[in-house]
Amino acid sequence: MAQNKEITFPVADPNNPYAMPAAMPSSVDHAARSFAVDDFPQPNRKQDEWRYTPIERIDEFFDTFKPSGATVIEVSMIDGSALAEGITLSQVKIGDGLSGSVSKPCDRVSAVEWNSGATATVLELRGEIAQPVLVHVHGAGMDLDAFHLVIAAADNTHADVVVEHDGEARLAEGVEITTGANSHVSTTFIQEWSANAKHVANHRIHVGRNASLRHSVVTLGGDIVRIRMDQDFGGEQGDLNMLGIYFVDPGEHIEHRTMVVHNHPECKSRVVYKGALDGQGAHSTWVGNALITPNAPGTDSYELNRNLVLTPGAIADSEPNLEIENGNIIGAGHASSVGRFDDEELFYLQSRGIPETEARKLVVRGFFGELVEEIGIPAISEHLMAVIDRRLARGESDAMAQVLEDK
Amino acid sequence: MSTLEIKGLVAHVETKDGIKPILKGVNLTVNSGETHAIMGPNGSGKSTLAYTLAGHPKYVVDDGEVLLDGQDILKMTPDERAKAGLFLAMQYPVEVPGVSMTNFLRTAKTEIDGQAPAIRQWTKDLSAAMKRLKMDPKFATRSVNEGFSGGEKKRAEVLQLELLKPKFAILDETDSGLDVDALRIVSEGVNRAKEANQFGILMVTHYTRILKYIKPDIVHVFADGHFVKTGGPELADELEENGYDQYLPEGADSESALA
Repeated sequence: MAQNKEITFPVADPNNPYAMPAAMPSSVDHAARSFAVDDFPQPNRKQDEWRYTPIERIDEFFDTFKPSGATVIEVSMIDGSALAEGITLSQVKIGDGLSGSVSKPCDRVSAVEWNSGATATVLELRGEIAQPVLVHVHGAGMDLDAFHLVIAAADNTHADVVVEHDGEARLAEGVEITTGANSHVSTTFIQEWSANAKHVANHRIHVGRNASLRHSVVTLGGDIVRIRMDQDFGGEQGDLNMLGIYFVDPGEHIEHRTMVVHNHPECKSRVVYKGALDGQGAHSTWVGNALITPNAPGTDSYELNRNLVLTPGAIADSEPNLEIENGNIIGAGHASSVGRFDDEELFYLQSRGIPETEARKLVVRGFFGELVEEIGIPAISEHLMAVIDRRLARGESDAMAQVLEDK
Repeated sequence: MSTLEIKGLVAHVETKDGIKPILKGVNLTVNSGETHAIMGPNGSGKSTLAYTLAGHPKYVVDDGEVLLDGQDILKMTPDERAKAGLFLAMQYPVEVPGVSMTNFLRTAKTEIDGQAPAIRQWTKDLSAAMKRLKMDPKFATRSVNEGFSGGEKKRAEVLQLELLKPKFAILDETDSGLDVDALRIVSEGVNRAKEANQFGILMVTHYTRILKYIKPDIVHVFADGHFVKTGGPELADELEENGYDQYLPEGADSESALA
């Protein structure tokens, strides 16, 4: 009979899951985490995390810069009224207070954002906040700017935050989201940039014990938008739901990278990103990483990306990566697809009098609508559908815009 | 009163084996209120005729013209043909995931009429039409044709026929895949729509059973890419009796061999 030998798994420090590498180091685990720009090399296309990005179009974000400060930030309730009870808004020197408390920058552009900005906007949420909070980020020109936002929800908080971006901008943005135990929070990020805007963002997300976070990203415009999201859990029974929608026009590069880390037992994550691409040179990238560390038994994770290519000449890159270091889990699934708008579907709709451009819109609206319906927070889903309809109705006749709005 | 004139229509399809001619000189005139049955063996080009009239990109027109009240629809895109008054009820209606029937129908109605229908009247018309076709109200919220059974898809086609009120309706094997009850409901729907709007019907069919419900004024035999015989309703009975073999070109596969 073979001698039983006790195996000890390394146990990660919940405050710093990267302090101790897994027994078999995972590729994402040894990535640098640092506030110092020079701890990261200059990006190039040979590096895995930059291989899909047209880096020559965003190289102004690779070294510390002096921000213009021109970006206009307005914070109110979503109906425009003053901030409700339980919401505290403050400006702090970057690095002070809650800023810099959620993990550390994970790539060079994130470190550049941290070191370029002077202040952080901190939004603290406490208690039951009925109406969503709206953070409006209005780009006011093409001078480089930086914006750092911290969203911190206390234990047991119920709150929704919508961050809307529009206008012309070249913006480096850092967002820290931390939610307390037993909280239920949604954060929604909408990018409705002008066609020449550049937006390089990083989200660092910490989901509290027994808390749920619905994190949604809707990117509908911009010359180049790259959003990297790194998340971990703060305790058992965390529930993360990430949803993404993107619409890519000719020549645009829209990139979303989701990095989910299951570092506590019995947490659940869902990542669903859907994109539509239209026209020559439209390029989307979705990279979804999910890491399940050895100390996270009972993990339930799933990630999915669907792309709908409406016209020839568009490119959709889709890359799910799973690293599973614990066999005792409920599930770790992934799915990815790139499909074309079918000629037979188009003909069917056309044969009912619907012109080609309308037919495409109808299909795209349906494609996204299925996802938006899942949000389950009417104030958010209605807002998102309105944003999507506004995008689809660009240059639309009044009668058809009405039909789209009425559903 | 409208007229649909097909004159010398020649069309082909490109296959991996090269160009395959299908329509070889089709001539036909249909007036408002008339019901024409187009019958013929498998592979004769009946369905191709239907899809070519509707403007399916797979079929390339080489010659001829199709005039709807004097306007050549062959120069139009499929949606322009629909707006001009043509409707094709398909043998295999296409599933469009994510687009609800309600939204689809209302968008189509808006395009065809050039203005959005008044919402209250539209909702009333839609639910009444669905009720007459014995369709579950839940269909309205489902995606276009997605997960519909064969019979449900055909009812949805007739529903559109009733709501969109075309000048000419082409029914491509609308009877296929229907059980007796569904065939009766669908046929009644077609008759009701015709009664209301007095459109002309081109009914492509393989079997005579639908002709018991939708009475044709004129019956045509279509073989090898063109009309070979035209007669009254009695021609259908003769076909039922004797089959299509006599109309097949010399050396062609017989009907049974194809089946």
